[in-house]
Amino acid sequence: MTAEAIEVRGLRKTFGAVKAVDDLTFTVPAGTITGFLGPNGAGKTTTLRCLLGLVGPTAGTATIGGVRYADLPRPATTVGAMLEASSFHPARSGRNHLRVYCTVNGFPDRRADEVLELVGLSKAGGQKVRGYSMGMRQRLGLAAALLGDPKVLILDEPANGLDPEGIAWLRGFLRGMADEGRTILVSSHVLSEVEQTVDTVVIINKGTLVRQGTIAELADSAGQTVLVRGPDLDPLIAALPRDAGAERVEDTLRVTGLSTDEVGHLAFTARVELHELTARTSDLEQIFFALTSESGPVEHFGGEGETR
Amino acid sequence: MIRLVRGEFRKLFTTKLWLWMLLGGIAMTAMFLGFTIAFDGAEGNPQPPLSTPEGQRNLFGSVSGAGVLALILGIIAVTGEFRHQTVTPTFLATPHRGRVVIGKLITYALAGIGYGAVVLAFAIGFAFVFTSARGIDLSLSADGVPEALAGVVAGIAVYTVLGVGVGALVRNQIAAIVGALVYLFVIEAFVAALPTIRDYYQYFPGGANAALTGTSQPGVELLSPWQGGLLLLAYGVVFATAGTRLAVRRDVS
Repeated sequence: MTAEAIEVRGLRKTFGAVKAVDDLTFTVPAGTITGFLGPNGAGKTTTLRCLLGLVGPTAGTATIGGVRYADLPRPATTVGAMLEASSFHPARSGRNHLRVYCTVNGFPDRRADEVLELVGLSKAGGQKVRGYSMGMRQRLGLAAALLGDPKVLILDEPANGLDPEGIAWLRGFLRGMADEGRTILVSSHVLSEVEQTVDTVVIINKGTLVRQGTIAELADSAGQTVLVRGPDLDPLIAALPRDAGAERVEDTLRVTGLSTDEVGHLAFTARVELHELTARTSDLEQIFFALTSESGPVEHFGGEGETR
Repeated sequence: MIRLVRGEFRKLFTTKLWLWMLLGGIAMTAMFLGFTIAFDGAEGNPQPPLSTPEGQRNLFGSVSGAGVLALILGIIAVTGEFRHQTVTPTFLATPHRGRVVIGKLITYALAGIGYGAVVLAFAIGFAFVFTSARGIDLSLSADGVPEALAGVVAGIAVYTVLGVGVGALVRNQIAAIVGALVYLFVIEAFVAALPTIRDYYQYFPGGANAALTGTSQPGVELLSPWQGGLLLLAYGVVFATAGTRLAVRRDVS
């Protein structure tokens, strides 16, 4: 599967006097899962709708594989999208909803059953959507996005309204989709929902980019704490670079200014036995809050537009 | 375009709305025809008697009253997509929105013909059973009656298409339906009844539809059936074109 990169360049969208998206630029490299994060009202949905040709940008471009959505020859086979939690007629069955779009796209009807199977809705396919729970609607939305076996998935808050079990299922599902080589852009207003799933994050606030980079880079950037536990940590403390902070409590060491990868590497080269090496994720959540509560200066990590 | 039309038919037939609208149209027809036949020749009834071709044209022409439900069906075809947000997957599957609206127009023109034909077939059966019970002879080949029958089906089909156009213009379902009903039953009735402006009624969609079906109303002037049919079609084209142009430009959020 050859994936396509998503590129947003100087995107701007105003609704009357409201600037929903303001000069937003970011790239989602082909074949990665990217978390599109920001508080409610940050402009995530508007950005995704511009990307999908549902909303016309005031300025700038948003392309998939270098092509505007409206210019894709067979959009359903390139991009699968899920926007609202419920874009279904309540009196139509889930299977018939999918079959409508099979007909429009020229896919055989059995494709509807295949995608229902993929999202675990085979049994409920014949029921009217009216009787679906929130989680079932999200799954049906995912099923609809997958009809054309697309190379790119664009999902707006797919974890919204899911119970913890559903969120765990979604994580595994997205991981599986990415392992097949798809490019996935998944939005959320809660970092922890996507943190374990995504390769990189794009964080926006008030319509502008706040930060783009990997989770590890995000953690590093604000003095992320790494917890290290082991029987003898003295050689590791000696091996730490000067600008890294270290605080020791009994057999536990709190390291700041380094990623888990770097601490792990230092421990390995210093031949230090480790019993635990953990990034403090609660701190990551704090970084997210700090970044999005006030609009800080734009910082790029990993190079803008670089393809990994 | 064939796929779009087939998809629209699939949307139409995977909910029960079409069935309710059809049953409603049949019930309305039974009511119109029942009253007309029951009061035929009653004292003080200004309508031409059913024994005349004019009376028979009016009898069958009244079937076009079921067109109001066809209009609502057309309105819901578009506004329902916005109400249930299915417009998002619809426009995602077909980013060229003009094609979506044209697909709907073709689908609902065909659906309107089918709807009109079924309601009319019921009306003919109903009329023959009840007029023969009253000893009135009906003839489908009487002067102007075949044209009136064809006009009823054509009028209902154009009303369905008009509904799609109205729905594309006014995306709020309640507003579109209430607006259409107020227009048909208040504004047009007012125009047809007010002596100073009733001469213009013939140029309104309702008047054009009456002309198409060869229906006569005392004191109201109408165009010829052909002129009425063309005028009604022109209304359909104007609404559909305006609706399409607007749907293409508007943001979907």
